[in-house]
Amino acid sequence: MLQRKKRVCRFCESGDIYIDFRDEKRLVRFLTEQGKIVPRRTSGNCNEHQRQLAQAIKRARHLAMIPFVSDIPR
Amino acid sequence: MENQYSTIFVVDISQNPDEVDTVSSRIQQLIEDHGGVIKKIDRWGKRRLAYSINKNTHGFYVEIEFSANSRLNIPRILEGEYRLNDRVLRFLSYTITKKELIQRSINSGKAKARKLEQAEKEIEKQPVVEKEAKIPASEEPIQADAPVESENLKKPESSEPEKTSEEVESIEEEKSSEEEKTFDEEKKPEKVEEDESSKEENKNEKIEN
Repeated sequence: MLQRKKRVCRFCESGDIYIDFRDEKRLVRFLTEQGKIVPRRTSGNCNEHQRQLAQAIKRARHLAMIPFVSDIPR
Repeated sequence: MENQYSTIFVVDISQNPDEVDTVSSRIQQLIEDHGGVIKKIDRWGKRRLAYSINKNTHGFYVEIEFSANSRLNIPRILEGEYRLNDRVLRFLSYTITKKELIQRSINSGKAKARKLEQAEKEIEKQPVVEKEAKIPASEEPIQADAPVESENLKKPESSEPEKTSEEVESIEEEKSSEEEKTFDEEKKPEKVEEDESSKEENKNEKIEN
């Protein structure tokens, strides 16, 4: 009865071949509040793009464009 | 093999803003001395760092693209220079893949298309403005009538026959599926709530069936 729609990878939808780490606004979408990389089961990315995304996020982190950890101070 | 490289470095400009030029010229000189050809120098400018590095909150980003033979091993030479230089906070050198080059050409194609669209829109806009200027007197009575018409239209919409319970459920289902699509962009806690609400709906359906 319940047929969930198959989620399609966003990067596949937009027809991107390469994920650029310079585009930090796009990368931030795939981070949790703490700054972790969102897993594939929640983001819905395909294998290829998830690996590219992880690479891009790690490069951006190294250059201090996005944080390694961003926790809300209590 | 001839490779395309990109090297990005963050310069500390807290003490001396001129440091950017000295560092970037030194890097350019190194590349050219060792047989590389500089393709592009991109100054991203002063940016806020996502986390403090050596108690600096800001840094100046410079990107240099160059091509060189892979045997020359220029990235390693640059690394030695970066590590020696105190003013360089962070650096990253990598070979540009074919995929990235293809993606760039796609993006530039998109950018061109956007420019064309904008140009077309501007051309379309100009005559419209002229028309409005020519007939200002005829517009006033139309505007006075407009609100009355809109009120008449709104009333029948609100007094639509009440939906049956089944219809309401189906609408709710659609909504939840739409929310699921969009929750990737949103943060995690909200997503959990949505899941719970959808589960509750499912339970209700099962009981009725």
